[in-house]
Amino acid sequence: MASDRSFWRSPALRNLLVLLAAWEVIGQLKLVAGGALPPVSAILARFWLDRADYPGHAAATVWSSTLGFLIGNALAIMAGVLFVLFPRLQRLARGVNIAVFALPAIAIAPILVLTLQGIAPRVVLAALGVYFVTMTATVVGLSQYDSRSADVVRAYGGGDWLVMKLVRLRGAIPDILGGLRIAAPNAVLGAILAEFGGGGRWGLGTYLLGSLGRGDPARLWGIGLMATLIAGLSYAVFALISARVLGSTRSVTLNTALPPGDGDANAPLALKIALALGAAALPFILWWAFIRLSGVPEMIAKTPWGVVDYLFIADTSAVARAKLGAALMQTLPITALGMVAGLGFAFLLAISSRMMPGFIRAFMPIALVTQTMPLVALTPLLVLMLGRGISVTLWITISVTFFPAFVLLMQGLQRVPQSVLDLPRAYGASAWKELRMVSIPAALPYLFAATRLTVPRALLGVMIAEWLATGTGLGNLLNQSRGYLDYGMIWTVASVSVLLSVAFYYLVLMVERRTLTRLGMQVVE
Amino acid sequence: MAGVPGISLRGVSKTYRGRGADVVALKDMNLDCPPGSFTALIGPSGCGKSTAMRVALGLEDYDAGEVRIAGQAPATATASGITGVAFQDAALLPWRTVTRNIALPLEVLGRDPAHYSHEIANLIELVGLKGYEAALPGQLSGGMRQRVSIARSLITSPEVLFMDEPFGALDQIRRRQMNVELQRIWLETKSTALLVTHGIDEAVFLADYVVVMHANPGRVVEVIEIPFPRPRSDELYSTPEFHEMTDRIARVLHGQ
Repeated sequence: MASDRSFWRSPALRNLLVLLAAWEVIGQLKLVAGGALPPVSAILARFWLDRADYPGHAAATVWSSTLGFLIGNALAIMAGVLFVLFPRLQRLARGVNIAVFALPAIAIAPILVLTLQGIAPRVVLAALGVYFVTMTATVVGLSQYDSRSADVVRAYGGGDWLVMKLVRLRGAIPDILGGLRIAAPNAVLGAILAEFGGGGRWGLGTYLLGSLGRGDPARLWGIGLMATLIAGLSYAVFALISARVLGSTRSVTLNTALPPGDGDANAPLALKIALALGAAALPFILWWAFIRLSGVPEMIAKTPWGVVDYLFIADTSAVARAKLGAALMQTLPITALGMVAGLGFAFLLAISSRMMPGFIRAFMPIALVTQTMPLVALTPLLVLMLGRGISVTLWITISVTFFPAFVLLMQGLQRVPQSVLDLPRAYGASAWKELRMVSIPAALPYLFAATRLTVPRALLGVMIAEWLATGTGLGNLLNQSRGYLDYGMIWTVASVSVLLSVAFYYLVLMVERRTLTRLGMQVVE
Repeated sequence: MAGVPGISLRGVSKTYRGRGADVVALKDMNLDCPPGSFTALIGPSGCGKSTAMRVALGLEDYDAGEVRIAGQAPATATASGITGVAFQDAALLPWRTVTRNIALPLEVLGRDPAHYSHEIANLIELVGLKGYEAALPGQLSGGMRQRVSIARSLITSPEVLFMDEPFGALDQIRRRQMNVELQRIWLETKSTALLVTHGIDEAVFLADYVVVMHANPGRVVEVIEIPFPRPRSDELYSTPEFHEMTDRIARVLHGQ
């Protein structure tokens, strides 16, 4: 909360003004790529000229993202409550949850455009963008209730439902609001991606698509900033609401009792295996059911079996495999490289921030604002500045992994009590020794969490860059297949990118559990 | 109800099964609190005194034995609203005002808090919080929050009152003040009270019977009757009889 409020005070405001002034000067002097970064005044002038276009496009984006936001969050909160009441249901749905989380939105945008009508693809993509965040926040909020208050209710004969109603639901509201705050920009990003992915006459994504060919940097910047503004405002609304609600209703003392453990630990092995298998199968069953229910012809809409057939059995399968393999070889190394660079940079900056807290305080609000900038809007701007080479892909990957990782790491480091930091100093440890003994180990769980959580975003960033800029890899393959009406390949790229992202998520989770268990630390959710 | 003990535990045993080692929290525990008496349960950390209270409240299962509150099973007794409880921490809901926190047991029991507004106002006055009816817990001091929790434990006019170190978080000075107040309140309500504590002078000051427990396994080693007349005042703390009594309990606690 402190960062939200400090944004309106100096030094953040001062830094913003300095940034704008520097931007204006650099723009006027055409210092970046021969005028690819126009001065602020030119962007505003262009915005004024285009003023007739914006209301329609912005309204369309706001409308579909709002619908998606409402539907996605309603489902997410209901799912969260059900998962907490029936933990086995949560285990069963784990595969679906991870798949929704790992979904690179750009990969399924073409699929949704193929199978659904009207603004439905935009709404679905916006809803998918908010589901995981809000569902997780709901589960966390409902799980971390104050066991002492629950004891009071139970001591008067209250059951699970009364504890849920009187203690847990209200107690989860701050967490749910926190989730909605992060989910709101996601809904805008999802809607714009779907607009960009095809169809429709209105929407900022459509506007962006139409303006790409004109090569007018000021127009692209205007659209990008407009999209950021909408996403940022949606974030701010929920930040404001949660600041109001939190006010004086936080628990006044710390609960030292241990939270109730996983009651399912001694369930029969057969049940555990059945749940794990069900969890893995459920996403595919839902995929299959979605195709059946949407009634789209089999030629266009591929079932899981259809993808297997396309990739391994059909006559053209060898060609398809070769294309896919070549694309993966282009996409994966650059994603890995960008992630390592982004995470490493975030880690270094976060642990060294102990030595320059003033700089970080001023920098955090700007980092949070850039988090709300929709990637589709950002990419053309980076292309303008960096050209169509490999560096643009790398920069996008670094930027999408760096900021979330940095924010997460900073939050983690802030939880280290001052006394723990003071202890090595009290025995005369050097700054480096203090870092090595306290800050780095304390940041480690958050580095793992950041790695795991930014994989889908990194893949999304790379694919958008490939689609829009470099013409290589999975993103380009997806775009080309749209042009060739190669439906099998569209579905294949979509499912492969989701599977990759899920596989990588689990890989990191495994390494994380091993390492943290050895160090006696907790996994950050 | 004459002759029926207020609270009775007969041969109650409970073992926590952990990884590797089992912890015997209670072994063949017997406890009788006569109706209208004030009993203090005292012992070192981990002796099972809180577990005994949680078992009596139906918050924990037990492996063997029998538990009766006013002749009923714990779950039946608590659900019928004849019990009241105050925990070590005030455990107030941070988003509810003082009034609505006190009304919480009524809502759990399915009674309409609107019918109790007079009782709530009386209790707020009884615990000395008049003027703070609409305050949130975060705006109150630690001592005030504990008094809210005492008022909440009394809202159902309980026949049986459980307290688990209700003043554990307060300093010695506040604690003595609250003990005097608690005695006054209890004398007015005439309920059967069970107090879990590890303060010897608190137990002697408040109780009719002090039940001393030892750990590993958790069990009752001695029941000591406290004969001081009521109402007891602050001056009791300085009398030789009081010190003799606390010394005696300390010796039992240390196994001498």
